[in-house]
Amino acid sequence: MQFTRRNLIVSGAAAAISQPTILQARETFRLGLTPVFLDNDAGVIDRLRAALSSALGASIELEQRRTYEEVTGLLLEGSVDAAWLCGYPYLQHRQTLSLLAVPVWNGQPLYQSYLIASTGDQASRLEDLRGGTHAFSDPDSNSGYLVTASDLARVGHRPEEFFGRTIFTYGHRNVVRAVADGLVRSGSVDGYVWEVLTTEEPELTQRTRVISKSEWIGFPPFCARSNKMNDPRIRQMQTALLGLSKSQEGQAVLSMLQLDEMTDADPSIFDGIALRMRDLAALR
Amino acid sequence: MISALRKIPLSVRVPLSAAVLMVLVGVIASQQVLATLSRVQDARIRELAQLHVQALSVALGPHVLRDDIWEVYDTLVRSAGGAEGGRTDFTAVTNENGRVLAATDPERAPLDSQIGDQVIGAQSPEKLTITGDAVHILLLAPLVYQGREVGQIVTELDVSDLVFERTRAAMLLLLGNAVATGVLALIGYLAMRRMLSPIARLSRRMRETAQAPEPIPESELPGGDTELTRLVRTYNTMVRAIEEKSETEHRLAERERFVSLGRLSSSLAHEINNPLGGLLNATDTIREYADRPEVVRQSSDLLKRGLEHLRDVARATLDHNRLDRSSVPMSQDDLDDVQLLIGPEIKRQQQQLEWDVAPGLTELSRFSSAPVRQVALNLLLNGSAAAKQGGRIRFGVSQTGKELRLVFEDNGPGLTDESKNRLLSSGPVVPGGGVGLRLVRDLVAELDGHIGVKRHDGITEITVRLPLPQTEEDGVC
Repeated sequence: MQFTRRNLIVSGAAAAISQPTILQARETFRLGLTPVFLDNDAGVIDRLRAALSSALGASIELEQRRTYEEVTGLLLEGSVDAAWLCGYPYLQHRQTLSLLAVPVWNGQPLYQSYLIASTGDQASRLEDLRGGTHAFSDPDSNSGYLVTASDLARVGHRPEEFFGRTIFTYGHRNVVRAVADGLVRSGSVDGYVWEVLTTEEPELTQRTRVISKSEWIGFPPFCARSNKMNDPRIRQMQTALLGLSKSQEGQAVLSMLQLDEMTDADPSIFDGIALRMRDLAALR
Repeated sequence: MISALRKIPLSVRVPLSAAVLMVLVGVIASQQVLATLSRVQDARIRELAQLHVQALSVALGPHVLRDDIWEVYDTLVRSAGGAEGGRTDFTAVTNENGRVLAATDPERAPLDSQIGDQVIGAQSPEKLTITGDAVHILLLAPLVYQGREVGQIVTELDVSDLVFERTRAAMLLLLGNAVATGVLALIGYLAMRRMLSPIARLSRRMRETAQAPEPIPESELPGGDTELTRLVRTYNTMVRAIEEKSETEHRLAERERFVSLGRLSSSLAHEINNPLGGLLNATDTIREYADRPEVVRQSSDLLKRGLEHLRDVARATLDHNRLDRSSVPMSQDDLDDVQLLIGPEIKRQQQQLEWDVAPGLTELSRFSSAPVRQVALNLLLNGSAAAKQGGRIRFGVSQTGKELRLVFEDNGPGLTDESKNRLLSSGPVVPGGGVGLRLVRDLVAELDGHIGVKRHDGITEITVRLPLPQTEEDGVC
């Protein structure tokens, strides 16, 4: 009976909705997400949930919060089983967190941080943006804060005094909007998000210009608490993530996200972030 | 302007005034409707503005309080894209110090700039009003959150649809009222015109019969016993009075003619009577000395001359009073007749008459003889009467290229005012004036002539200038 029911669950998201609540509560996997990603596309999120749910054989509840801090907090306190974080909070809590999988983009589990300004802006490097208004995505984002903050720290500046005004938009897409609309002069944005937007919403990115790109850094990973890594549900999730590209549904979602697959990359890909964290801390 | 208006006939002016009044009423009514529409629109836009401000205050309050620029901006952009957003062209939110936190158009109100200049001319939601043709109005409202003013909301509202609605209403009203008042004005004009038609008729009749006023027939009297009926009746009474007066004057003039005729006949009787004694003596002589042929011949010659003189006098008198002489052309003989006719009176009064008729009066024949003879005789009789016993009178006739000039002089005491009135004006005739002077005036007037009176060196000079009548040859150019 239970087996039949599980098969039903596996067969699709539509069936999952009809499952009895008690069973769901026991088996539901809670995955934390931050709106830093493509938060505007509810379709992508639904498809991701459906694909993972299929692969996992259990229903998945996606927990979205506004900030990395909140999602990281949920993960640390155990309110969610795993979360799609950023390399920066992963390293901030390296003692507690472990990598489940890292997305592969354009053949490698790496991405860059972009410094952008509006198309008409004459700035050609970070120094040219002094005194202007600047949008960060999240104080715990690598590409949306740490890269620019550490670049400034390396030349002895703090963002608050280097820029005339800094704001946080809590979303990479929002950074692009803030710059494109002229709300701020420049912004720090996830290079992957900006590139995806050039195909998804070209009218938005066309109004912005990339001033500089950072070195290649480890792509925002899926993490879980280290002490739960041997939990079968976590293992199953890791297997589901790593095997996502093998199912048709998974392929579709990855294609929507413009990702190739998920891989179990070495934590050393985040060394660049660690270096920047150290430089930033040195200034403080 | 007013004098120009006064030149317009009453029958047009009154209906026109009615039409203008109708148009004025239309304009005032339109104004009232537009004012009401304006009030309704203002109330609508105020309610909308207050709702807008309330909704934004609720949505933005916490973000403004936390200085969360992005959320303020995002909320503004989202609300601008909403159903109500169609009316808001621009919205900016400031903190309590007037520093811009976010605006739907960051270029217009950049982050951290002072809102200052942007809110010049802004209105509060409670007093919001659409003014003139401006399609945008600026709204400034406090952003109140949890009972505390945490910032300001500046919104530019697009009221182009309301302005368009107002303009369209104004146009429709204008058109509708123009048609309605046009029709009413036309009806008013026609009604007034109809009411005033008796006056127009009266005025036309007076104009057409200016020479000889005629009463308006009973059949054409306006119905009822209105002011107009009474006016027309009064007019008719006046016309009859004028007719009677004119008739009286005519009779008076006729009588004058007979008076002058009477005086003339009296002197003629003398003229006939005087030689009669001589003639009777001559017949006695012929009878007594029938056998003496030289005496008979002498007496019969005397008799013949006396009878010829009587014949001439009789003929001149007949000519003077013959009715059909009016069409007979004037000639030198007529002047001789006048001299013959006045002669006895001159002789009776033992006066001197200077007869100064210029030779070769070629244009005399252009005049009819009767009126000129009458004028000359009347004025000579008048002059003779004025000069008294043993006085002097002069009669001169001359012609220029344009006119015949008759001059009468006497050494009498001059014309009295009554006489001048008779001779020179058409005023009422009062008793005591000179003999036949009004007749002279009327005859000269008929001939388009002119009478002048001068008094110098104890001499009264009356000059009558008669323009030469146009002959048929003259009339052809």
